[in-house]
Amino acid sequence: MLSMKNISKVYQTEKVQTHALRDFNLNVDEGEFIAVTGPSGSGKTTFLNIAGMLEPFTGGDFMLDDVNVGTLSDNQRADLRNQKIGFIFQGFNLIPDLNLYENIEVPLRYRGIKSAERKRRIEECLEKVGLASRAKHLPQQLSGGQQQRVAIARALAGKPRFLLADEPTGNLDSLMARQVMELLEEINREGSTIIMVTHDSELARRAPRNIQVVDGQLADFTLYQNKAMDEIAAKAGQPAIEA
Amino acid sequence: MLEIKPVFNALLRSKAGAVMLLIQIALTTAIVSNAAFIINDRIDYLSQETGYPEDEIFSFTVKSFDPNLDLSQKFEETETMLRNIPGVENAGLFNASPLSGSGSATGLSLAPASERGPDVRAAYYQADENALNILGISVSQGRNFRADEVIVSQTRGVFPLVVIVTRTLAKELFPKGDALGQTVYFGSDPLKIVGIVELMKGPWLQDSKPDNVAIIPFVSASTFQHIIVRTQTKQRAAIMRQIEDLMLEDHSKRVIIGLNAMDVKKAEYNASDTLMLRMLMVLIIVLLLVTALGIFGLTVFNINKRTKQIGTRRALGARKSAIINYFLVENAMICSVGVTIGSIGAFFLGRVLLQHYSIPALDNMYILSTALFVIAISLLSVLMPANKAANISPSIATRSI
Ligand SMILES: Nc1ncnc2c1ncn2[C@@H]1O[C@H](COP(=O)(O)OP(=O)(O)OP(=O)(O)O)[C@@H](O)[C@H]1O
Ligand SMILES: [Mg+2]
Repeated sequence: MLSMKNISKVYQTEKVQTHALRDFNLNVDEGEFIAVTGPSGSGKTTFLNIAGMLEPFTGGDFMLDDVNVGTLSDNQRADLRNQKIGFIFQGFNLIPDLNLYENIEVPLRYRGIKSAERKRRIEECLEKVGLASRAKHLPQQLSGGQQQRVAIARALAGKPRFLLADEPTGNLDSLMARQVMELLEEINREGSTIIMVTHDSELARRAPRNIQVVDGQLADFTLYQNKAMDEIAAKAGQPAIEA
Repeated sequence: MLEIKPVFNALLRSKAGAVMLLIQIALTTAIVSNAAFIINDRIDYLSQETGYPEDEIFSFTVKSFDPNLDLSQKFEETETMLRNIPGVENAGLFNASPLSGSGSATGLSLAPASERGPDVRAAYYQADENALNILGISVSQGRNFRADEVIVSQTRGVFPLVVIVTRTLAKELFPKGDALGQTVYFGSDPLKIVGIVELMKGPWLQDSKPDNVAIIPFVSASTFQHIIVRTQTKQRAAIMRQIEDLMLEDHSKRVIIGLNAMDVKKAEYNASDTLMLRMLMVLIIVLLLVTALGIFGLTVFNINKRTKQIGTRRALGARKSAIINYFLVENAMICSVGVTIGSIGAFFLGRVLLQHYSIPALDNMYILSTALFVIAISLLSVLMPANKAANISPSIATRSI
């Protein structure tokens, strides 16, 4: 569903040219759960931003569901983000002046979904992340883990086929990180494709496919895919994922 | 797809800046609508028809210090001399100059003073049968004075028997409209109304009844004598320059003072109104500028504060237009509450001004149009920063913490 061919990204500042990505090639199939690791500054966020159409790329071809992203207008990209992509950010990025209900409502309103349907979906998603009783609370009244769960609910509410997460557990302690990871795994089992950037190798190993970005290029490997999954799951005190 | 409810809720949760702006908008609306109304009222006042060809008339005062002079006779000669100056239409003795700020007024009543009827206050000019011609005014009903009706006297022993009044004065004296031919009393002296003129302002434009004016055919030449001259169009300045020489040539034991063109004298009289007008205009412009800058500043501040939020909204699928709309809707909300409060404020401010100053009741149209104008300015001021906000890259969502 996602295919990148020879994608490059150059940041041009006054004097310095930064090649954040070069000859980046990646194919992602429907339903995959991919963990992206790599050293700091290697281009992970840049890759995720391009995948999510948050910023333009400098060269190469990027197809998303047979749509050539390079040819889209700004409005078309905004609409595609709204319909197909859910974002989860390291800093949660909840809107501080909106309560949880209204936060989750934001992308639904942009899509023009009717009020009754919005309500149904928001309640369903809040239920799923276990915060149904806190709909009227403001983000600052929640813990970090809870805020990230709201952010996940917001990403899910639009029923995106594609979930992009940039260090979703980066600001959380390990217990909360694991809860968030479990939530993502559940979402993946239900059919969404997930790409998650993380620094946490333990969490990365739980993902069926790992890719590594080094110096703006891809080192794709599927290290722990079969055998290791069981081990890790057992270590975490969880049953292995059966899907 | 205007998202009114969430914008409103978000606004309620962080109101400090919004409240400041709201107060500013309310004050601007209240003050500007009243100031605009007063300005318009003053412009009407300053540009009102006076009935006179103001640019053709000038006046001066003659101070005579020759004790042996027969004033009445001398001034008859002087009048003749003045009328013979090339370019002069007419000239004559007056007790006062219209629009100049000094003159005489009395109460005219329907009964002699001994019977104490109700009286009507009126300014009056004393001059001979040339008076209307000198002032460039014509009789609209009835007739002008005849020469034999003019009393020339150094004392008030004999008083005229006729009077010419303005339409406004006639109506006030005789509301039924049958003033012509009726008798009114100047103290105990009866005066028959022989003519009515449509419009002729008194000496004081700021008077509450500047249109109540009478002309009495009485000439009493004095050592301190006022003279009014009407010239041909465009000749006035040249004649005014030579008038002193001609007057002294006519008789050397006199001094000419207070030589004034009618429109210039009127402008002097109205100087404080003109000043107020200018100050109010400056006030309005400053207020509107400050408000516009305030809105601009607040929006810029809000955008800087919400950069990450805007990026996040863009990431979640907001089109640029949705971001612009957000700020427009937010501004429209603050603004509509502001102008509503401001309009109520304007109404009460108008009442206070009405009670304490001689300002007519505020026309509600001024409140309405000021409110609309403030809303327009407000939306214009928000447009540029909102546009800047729309251009914030969605990648801000992942790049900033
Ligand atoms: N807006 C920008 N302007 C210039 N250079 C940039 C910009 N954004 C990123 N870069 C550079 O591009 C390179 C890749 O950055 P990127 O954020 O993708 O790294 P990352 O792998 O996400 O790092 P981290 O693990 O620290 O988040 C870095 O060298 C960074 O300095
Ligand atoms: Mg990063």
